[in-house]
Amino acid sequence: MEFGWTPEQEEHRARVKTLLAKELPENWDEIAVHGPGSDAQTAFSKIFCKRLADEGLLISHWPKEYGGNDMSVWDQFIMGEELWAAGEPRGPQYMNVNWIGPVLMRYANEAQKAKYFPQIAEGSVIWCQGFSEPSAGSDLASLRTKAEKVEGGYVVNGAKVWTSYAGLATHCFLLARTSSAGKGAIVILLLDMSSPGVQVKQIPALIGEGDIHEVFFTDVFVPAENLLGEEGQAWEIITFALQNERIGIPRYAFSRRILDRAAAKLQADGRFNDPIIRDRAGRALAMCEAARLMVYRVVHQRATQAPQDAYGNLARWAIVQADHAVNDFMTEFMPEGLLGDDQMQIAHHQRAIAAGIASGAAEIQLNLAARRYLDLPGEPRRAV
Amino acid sequence: MSHAVQFDLSEDQSAILGGLEQLIGTLNIEAPKDPVVSAYSQPLDDELTTGGFFEITQSEGFGLLDGALIVEALAKLPVSVEAAASILIAPSFLEDAGRRPVALVSGSAAAPARFLPMAKTLLVDKGDDVLRIDIPEGAVEDVETLFAYPYGRLKNPGALPAVSLGAGRVAELRRRWRMAIAVEAAGLMQSALDTVLEHVKTRQQFGRPIGSFQAVQHRLVMAAEQGQATRWLALRAAWSDSEADAAIAATYAQDATPKFCNDLHQFCGAMGLTLEFPLHHWTYRLRALLGEMGGSSGSALAAADAVWAGKVP
Repeated sequence: MEFGWTPEQEEHRARVKTLLAKELPENWDEIAVHGPGSDAQTAFSKIFCKRLADEGLLISHWPKEYGGNDMSVWDQFIMGEELWAAGEPRGPQYMNVNWIGPVLMRYANEAQKAKYFPQIAEGSVIWCQGFSEPSAGSDLASLRTKAEKVEGGYVVNGAKVWTSYAGLATHCFLLARTSSAGKGAIVILLLDMSSPGVQVKQIPALIGEGDIHEVFFTDVFVPAENLLGEEGQAWEIITFALQNERIGIPRYAFSRRILDRAAAKLQADGRFNDPIIRDRAGRALAMCEAARLMVYRVVHQRATQAPQDAYGNLARWAIVQADHAVNDFMTEFMPEGLLGDDQMQIAHHQRAIAAGIASGAAEIQLNLAARRYLDLPGEPRRAV
Repeated sequence: MSHAVQFDLSEDQSAILGGLEQLIGTLNIEAPKDPVVSAYSQPLDDELTTGGFFEITQSEGFGLLDGALIVEALAKLPVSVEAAASILIAPSFLEDAGRRPVALVSGSAAAPARFLPMAKTLLVDKGDDVLRIDIPEGAVEDVETLFAYPYGRLKNPGALPAVSLGAGRVAELRRRWRMAIAVEAAGLMQSALDTVLEHVKTRQQFGRPIGSFQAVQHRLVMAAEQGQATRWLALRAAWSDSEADAAIAATYAQDATPKFCNDLHQFCGAMGLTLEFPLHHWTYRLRALLGEMGGSSGSALAAADAVWAGKVP
């Protein structure tokens, strides 16, 4: 049992930090304030991801056969920690490399791999995730968007909602169903967002510009070659995808950075002598470090290729607590930051209030952990 | 101290914990049904002494982390034994590490302290000094308490000679004490949770196990998350022996304790209020730890000071 880093890992972290110090512009706080889905951050992500690609860091954790460098799980995660702590300059492209790519590696056919990997590898495309619908949020399997089988492909009709990054996305990882017959009738279509019949409408929200959208599909034709996996295989693919997605974001790293900044500002303002403030800051700090170690435990599991258990569900809850603890501390003791004084605090606030909602409601994680980690009996289904 | 993060036990650690489990197995330890005040296992103490477990941190190739794993394992038992101070604190504060059990107290030597009825040494955190007091036979009177540790207080503290260890030892004592609190809390939380899980899986109401209700499940998962986070923070603190890690671990454990204990007792209903039901053996030790080292606020201040004081990140 160990809790430290190898010299090589420390060197890797230093390299990422140096790159960030060099590549992030002076007005990065202003660019980052509206979140990864904003016009400004998405535009910057295309420049930054190309730089990461030049440095061999954008998809370095991918296998060599897919253009990566077989970077270790831990090195990938160290990079993710530093990038997220800096406000995620990869913008929405973190999804491409964290889970879209790995899902395609496992389930895409050779033609699909040849088509999509070069685009992701050069950092030029934005994917969005066509999962949630007006009547299918946490209960994802109840989605209604139709994919009618026609000659040569599918015709899609329906609507998605809360879709992050859809306004600027070039592709959508779209879930639809061919019939009403449960999970088995769901298909995954790799949709070109410029297809005729796709309409995107931004939803004004508390969590930043360009983060959530409605997406409408009216007689959208998707060629059969864009079906991912086989019909009937979608739920297996979704489950695999969500495992990669749910703790793919080291949110606690951004919270810890914001808390460090807050402590520095409170010290500079002469307020850090107040024991009430230091008490509350210390508690928020403990929540961040708890989330860090819970997530490290999951990363360790991946790094050692141990079978996935429900620890990721527990870790997700810890992450939500950490985001909330830091946000609550700052809102109470540094409200001026939310009055236009601190762009990074605003950015953190906007991410923190969505921490238990984005990537699936945290209550679902609690349900899953109750069954899979604590082995508690399920709630009986109500008689209809 | 540069190593890859590794959450699995080493072969040596597995062997030590396996040996400890075997030793515990020979004693047939059961939860005492008597009032909680006297749940100290002298037979276990004797066996641990014979087995050399209290000297683990002084053995070649072993350190605080290995000692912490033993303390955590012992805290899972429904009886108490003084191990945390003996293993994690005594080696650097006692001239004779064998003068144990060790009791710890903040402020005044006259205050009640855990394990004082059987302690041979008392360490006093005076704030500007650490005092070491050898405890002779008959110097302690028992203190009745619900806390599931034996408590006592010195009958005449002024009459006992105290060795001043100096102001320079205060930070070290507090660091190790906070580490000990967190490590012990981790073991206590695990057994408390296991006990309640067994109850909610078998206790039926409205025709189904109460553990099948979502209102119960969610709070139990939150408790499980608190237990696991406490464990990793505590073990990291033992690994690093750093001021910040120890204070962060104690802050988390003590901050989590009230809700953790209240929820776990809630799910056991009136049964959880009886001495027959063993839950209190762990929750009342947790509650005792909550009140040490200034409680969660004292630890949170220490964490903030260790991480931020005097430096601008």
